[in-house]
Amino acid sequence: MRELLMILRKEFIHIWRDRITLLLVLALPIVLVLFFGFTISTEIKNAKISVLDLSNDSKSKILLNKIAASNYFQIVSYPNSESEIDFDFKNKNIKLAIIIPSNFENKLEVEKKATIQVISDVSDINVASVLNSYFRVIINDFLNENYVTNSEAATFEVITQMLYNPEMKSVYMFVPGIIALIMIIVTALMTSITLAREKETGSMRMLLITPVKKVYIIIGKIIPYMLLSFICTLLIIIISVWVFNMPVEGNLAFLLFLCFVFMLTSASFGMIISALVRTQLDAMMVTMMGLFLPTVLLSGFLFPLDNMPQLFQALAHFFPAKWFIIAIKDVMIKGSGFMEIWKYLLILFIMACILITISLIRIDKKE
Amino acid sequence: MYSIVVENLIKKYNHFVAVDNISFKVKRGEIFGFLGANGAGKTTTIKMLCGLLQPTSGNATVAGYDLKKDYKSIKKNIGYMSQRFSLYEDLTLYENMQLFGTVYGIPRKILKERIYESLDSLQMTEKANSLVYSIPLGWKQKLAFATAMLHHPQIVFLDEPTSGVDPIVRREFWNMLYETANKGVTIFVTTHYMDEAEYCEKISMMSDGQLKLIGTPSELKSKMNVDSIAELFQKIVNR
Repeated sequence: MRELLMILRKEFIHIWRDRITLLLVLALPIVLVLFFGFTISTEIKNAKISVLDLSNDSKSKILLNKIAASNYFQIVSYPNSESEIDFDFKNKNIKLAIIIPSNFENKLEVEKKATIQVISDVSDINVASVLNSYFRVIINDFLNENYVTNSEAATFEVITQMLYNPEMKSVYMFVPGIIALIMIIVTALMTSITLAREKETGSMRMLLITPVKKVYIIIGKIIPYMLLSFICTLLIIIISVWVFNMPVEGNLAFLLFLCFVFMLTSASFGMIISALVRTQLDAMMVTMMGLFLPTVLLSGFLFPLDNMPQLFQALAHFFPAKWFIIAIKDVMIKGSGFMEIWKYLLILFIMACILITISLIRIDKKE
Repeated sequence: MYSIVVENLIKKYNHFVAVDNISFKVKRGEIFGFLGANGAGKTTTIKMLCGLLQPTSGNATVAGYDLKKDYKSIKKNIGYMSQRFSLYEDLTLYENMQLFGTVYGIPRKILKERIYESLDSLQMTEKANSLVYSIPLGWKQKLAFATAMLHHPQIVFLDEPTSGVDPIVRREFWNMLYETANKGVTIFVTTHYMDEAEYCEKISMMSDGQLKLIGTPSELKSKMNVDSIAELFQKIVNR
């Protein structure tokens, strides 16, 4: 036990005396959260739209007032014909045009079916899909408010009801992703680099020749970086709750436990990488290409997995970030507990066990 | 009376034979020079004797313990130092010695005494709390040797301990080795400096995984009819 404490102490001294790296590691999560929080946003406010109201009756006016009252849309023009809509798209920079059919009220109440035409500018797919979703929410509200008491409610096409994140706040999306990224950087990258450094300088051989247990060498190497990444995770959660009103619906202790399991998995990836390479530079390259990039691209953090080709969707299963992000979103946003996400925890845990076992076997083979 | 007994030791990697059936004995308190060109199999042999690598076949006894059955006891009774890594640069002299002393299981109080004792004899006590980074290479090598000796091993393995060190420090270093050997510690040393090989009580030469020669320096020189170990080395390696 004294041996383990001494190895831990040595590792903390390494971290503490390398102030620049330490500062960078602590500043990174803060910078990333603030950067993503203030710049990248899928929330769209005051999108310019045009409305061609062919019926001009009381119901269409209620609907239009509702649209105008929302923060999302700003009605900039009321064209008189469809050709004028085209003009608006080109010259007034509108994102959406809405055409309300003639006899709108009549159609709703008598025919029980009305079709509103929505024309979107899809040159930016994300913006278009977000605006469409906002619009559906407004239509849904409109129907509920005006026809909910009426048993013969008018039929519209199926309208998606948006749960958990009805305002489509982007902070819900990126905070879990950033936590995953930071933990990959701090635990996997730092662990693999420092382990590779011990191999490169030959100190690993010195340690392996001593009677100290191999497990102590590895644990002594991992714990300090897990602790550091735990601090980073806390920083991210505090900033995102405090500055961006990110909800933490689930149990906080359980959330931190989930983060701990993911950290263990990241650290085990760091270990296996350092077991495969010889130098710090290789360790860095392999971690960046083999783990960091897939975490950005294949975790569903920035790019939805459902839209990817089958091959990539299958590939994503092998990286821990995908499972972690699903789980942490459930815990933070839906308030899920152990019963709902035990599967993901198990996957992460099994990954860690397999990798730690392999690297313990391999550690002295290639020092 | 033998510290190291090696019998028909073989290490193969797939089809490559790194160590090809070598046998030798090293007496207690002897300075044993282990020579050979790069890639001759020296490092592989040392790694096996230190319990880092399992031999493919053959037997060895180190410090009286069987290599295959009792490598844990071997680890407690040997010291190791290499030129490639001496000590952690961002730790102080004291912290380095404390780390290695502790992982060898030396009790806290005794360790503290021993560290100050050996720093005293190296005349580095004042530097105890300086970073290793700040002291000259020659000092580092002497300090690394003292660190490898903290747990009073029976045998110490030195892998090119003096590479890159100036002649004066090398001389001082070898004086340390003589002193240590006089106390009964076996010294197993590899080197690329042929003048250093002359200082050894016994030397062996490896080439292509095989042990080509073994004996005292003067024996070998007269046997092969050469004037120096350097010439001898040339002959063996080019053969």
